[in-house]
Amino acid sequence: MTRRRWLIHLVLRALGHRKGRTILLLAVLAMASSLATALGIVSSSMERRVAEEVRKYGANLIVIPETARLEIGSGGLDFGVVSEPTYLQQSLVEGALARSGIKAERSFHLRGALHWKDSDLMVEGVDFADIRRLFPWWQLKGTWPTAGEIVVGNDLAASMKLKPGDMMECGGKGQTVKLRVSGIVTSGGEEDGLLFVALPELQKALELEGQITLVRLMVTAGGDSLKKSAVSLQQLMPGAKVSEVRQTARTSEGLLAKVKLLMLMVTAVVLVSAGSSVAGTMSTTVLERGKEIGLMKAMGGTRVEVMLIFCGEAAMLGVLGGIAGYLCGTIIAQFITRTVFSASADIIPWIACVSLGVSLFLALLGSFGPMISVFKLDPVRSLRGE
Amino acid sequence: MAASIIETTGLTRSYGDICALKPLDLLVPEGEWLSVMGHSGSGKSTFMNLVGGLDRPTSGSLQVGGENLLALSEDGLARFRREFVGIIFQQHHLVPYLTAVENVMMAQYFHSVPDEAEARFALERVGLGHRLKNRPGELSGGEQQRVCIARAIINSPKLLLGDEPTGNLDHKSTIMVMELLKELRAEENFTVIMVTHNQEVAAWGDRTIYLDDGILVREERLVKTDEG
Amino acid sequence: MIAIVYKLIPHLLSWFCIVLVLLRCFSVRRSVIMIAGISGFICGVADSAVLFRFFSASTSYAVIKSALGASFFLFWTIAVVAVYRSGERSTTVSSRARWFDSSFSAGVISAFIAIVSGAICACRIPVVDSGALTYAVPVLAAISLAYASLCIEKRISVSFKAAPLGAFAAVVALLLFSSSSLPRLDLFSPLSMKVMKGVHDFVHQFMESILIPDHLFVKPIVWKYIGLLFGKEVGFWGGIIIWFTPVLLIALAIGSARLPSVAHIRQGAQRRKLLAAAIREQRLQLVIPFFSIVIFAGAAYQSSFPSVEYWDPTPVAVTANQAGEIFIPKTGEINLEDGKLHKYLFKQGTREARFFILLGPDGQLTVDLDACAICKPDGYGQADGAVLCYYCKTLIPLETVGKPGGCNPVPISFIEKGDGVAIDGITLINSWVSTVQATTRVTEGGK
Repeated sequence: MTRRRWLIHLVLRALGHRKGRTILLLAVLAMASSLATALGIVSSSMERRVAEEVRKYGANLIVIPETARLEIGSGGLDFGVVSEPTYLQQSLVEGALARSGIKAERSFHLRGALHWKDSDLMVEGVDFADIRRLFPWWQLKGTWPTAGEIVVGNDLAASMKLKPGDMMECGGKGQTVKLRVSGIVTSGGEEDGLLFVALPELQKALELEGQITLVRLMVTAGGDSLKKSAVSLQQLMPGAKVSEVRQTARTSEGLLAKVKLLMLMVTAVVLVSAGSSVAGTMSTTVLERGKEIGLMKAMGGTRVEVMLIFCGEAAMLGVLGGIAGYLCGTIIAQFITRTVFSASADIIPWIACVSLGVSLFLALLGSFGPMISVFKLDPVRSLRGE
Repeated sequence: MAASIIETTGLTRSYGDICALKPLDLLVPEGEWLSVMGHSGSGKSTFMNLVGGLDRPTSGSLQVGGENLLALSEDGLARFRREFVGIIFQQHHLVPYLTAVENVMMAQYFHSVPDEAEARFALERVGLGHRLKNRPGELSGGEQQRVCIARAIINSPKLLLGDEPTGNLDHKSTIMVMELLKELRAEENFTVIMVTHNQEVAAWGDRTIYLDDGILVREERLVKTDEG
Repeated sequence: MIAIVYKLIPHLLSWFCIVLVLLRCFSVRRSVIMIAGISGFICGVADSAVLFRFFSASTSYAVIKSALGASFFLFWTIAVVAVYRSGERSTTVSSRARWFDSSFSAGVISAFIAIVSGAICACRIPVVDSGALTYAVPVLAAISLAYASLCIEKRISVSFKAAPLGAFAAVVALLLFSSSSLPRLDLFSPLSMKVMKGVHDFVHQFMESILIPDHLFVKPIVWKYIGLLFGKEVGFWGGIIIWFTPVLLIALAIGSARLPSVAHIRQGAQRRKLLAAAIREQRLQLVIPFFSIVIFAGAAYQSSFPSVEYWDPTPVAVTANQAGEIFIPKTGEINLEDGKLHKYLFKQGTREARFFILLGPDGQLTVDLDACAICKPDGYGQADGAVLCYYCKTLIPLETVGKPGGCNPVPISFIEKGDGVAIDGITLINSWVSTVQATTRVTEGGK
């Protein structure tokens, strides 16, 4: 039997001898590390999800005509039927925004249909500069359009076999326009099925000068003030409906922050109490085993060797606690995300290192003081039973 | 006359104001069985701890097996203890959660590497071949003391120290333990220093010294009739 | 001068460690090692100087590189033999051991190592404008470092022994570390490149002879896995395996060496004590192989992320005139004949091509694609005396740039028109497209 295997055997025997205390220590360590694990898993997997959600909803307020139907689906707007249009006055909205004094990025949208090659295409009139600012995640193949140019949504381009450089001649209510495709845009949302034209050009083509169907606003202030801005804007625009888009994202974000804070506090408390309970238990153990330590020293163990045996016990507890903590922590994280966010958490293997580290650190830190007394213990006095 | 294994001159140990051992000059020849007698508090345990490298003298010189114990570092003393000394305690001091074999292997571990077969053989030698896997709690006092002896001699020490090894044993077990020690000594040729306050136990030795209040008061050489 | 000293640091550091290891390995023959080592180092520096004076740079590098390659090969052989022999009891070793212990062999071995070490060191010194003084710098530094390591070695505890196997591993590791900072002497990158190309060729042959491309049963997913074999990663990991195996084998050989027999000792305590001492010694002997593993890793790292700065200009956009001809003047904003790599980007519609113009050492301009016929078009950078393919890290000597084939940049025909260079745009684009398509198709495995 090699020395290393003997050491492990000895440590296991010693831990097995005091089953109650070992289980208690393991439970404490596992609890502390499982909380740390759960915190890590919840925050890293939920943060990513929330970030995705936030990214989806770049704008946080939208203004639409009161009679239009608004459906907030899975990540976008769906305007049921385009043929019953109601419009907002662009100047009115601009005035209202100016009067409200709200700082917001804005983008005006006009939805309509243009006729091309015996089919109606859904068209959205936008200001491309605004689009690029508000929706930075749109991916463009080709270039952003200049005057007389348009970009096509990815799905539409695929179904109509359009590519950059193609010319289109579209007929609107007012006039027929010749447009050149300058790029294909991919947003991952319903925009992929649309054709984007500069707002004034579309307004001219559809004979809807000064009219818009939708305003997207990104109010920079967060928290409650978003609701306040929505209310104040609503009062200034009687014919429109102002609603918050990001509700889901916002609530999850707030919830995540709260859950994280709560978990952080609980973890901190648990870590401190676990550390002190490890320290307490370990020092009792060392006190009780004074004779054993004295004996080991009398048999010729150097101070470091004897201390290593006891450190080995702490490290063994730490490793076992860490493994248990990782398993429990994964379950706790699942539970939290299921109940609070109704989503399942990822299983993140590298978090195991964190839980092992936390548990080992606690176990070794907690036994630091006792280890010093092991180191210093005088064999003669401890064997005499003092 | 064999060379002396222990040489002390003016050996003193005091705890604060209390002087546990007044200057002591003593020579112990190699292979001798020395009994140390005295009342409790007479300094006999102190003497044993000093010789065994468990404690450091306040002053004087102490040579054990050619090694000047005063010059050794803390780790050097530990090395000295593991290679040179075997100790038998009155309270046995066996590790409660280890079996008899494992208790012996513990001494092997600190000395070099554990070797189970050898530990088992050592236990068989002290007559415990049938109780190898028993924990100390399952053994009688005499058996525990025999485990303790097996542990003490496993590393072939030159010096065997006994701190009242029979203090907790009945008469029958005492005789058994002393017989065992005598046999082992005949085979291994170690020097024995045995602290006791039992006249009968002391009589097993070659020489008895009497300590009182830290002073060597009397020395008695026993003439063994049975050894011829 | 200071720049040279700075460049020499890794080499001199390796030299210092080599001397330390050698001294510890032959600790009874310190003076022999010192004399042989220092004279060998001087010899190596002189050899290298002579080589670079009288032969072309590529020949000189090839000579030193083959010495390195030979020692790595020898290292492999010794490692395999060591593992093979580790199980047997040491009875027949005595004659070998006696030879190894003689002062003659100690001197020869250390002299050889020192020659290689010195030669590598001297490669750092530029051939032009370097007098005897420049060569004196590394020599003096090496001598003082050798003495420093002698002093340090005497202070290291005696229990810390360097077994010949471990010492050899450490010396090879240090030599390779020293050479890895010079791209033209580096072994790891060429090794992984060879592995990559070997796998490439093998898969090609295999596929061509056994499987018909577009085979009915070969699903796209299978092609994806086959494609993996063509990636750079195969070369890298293959290289890593070849690189680290011998030192691991040596560690294994030391670790699994039979412990001395202690069965004949009757007293248990003494037997165990000997055993414990033997185990302890074996553990200590493993220190040097583990140190060597770290050094090997350092060498591989240095080779994969060289600290050498490549001249890599951003491509200048050029256009063709009405006749479809790209004209680049020799002088002006960019001087084509300054011996540096000049990169250009030519766009025609949606298609584009990257190319570079370079004045070769023979005084002839060449125009080449910034891509080769084998690798992904990651382009080239210029190091001293060579250009480097960024994808496979192959160095192509400037002399051969402009010649077709292999990993060389694909040459493009051009006309030198008095004050400039004229290239046909269509030819350029077509050549780029066909080259790049061929290489990307192969690397992605989609035949």
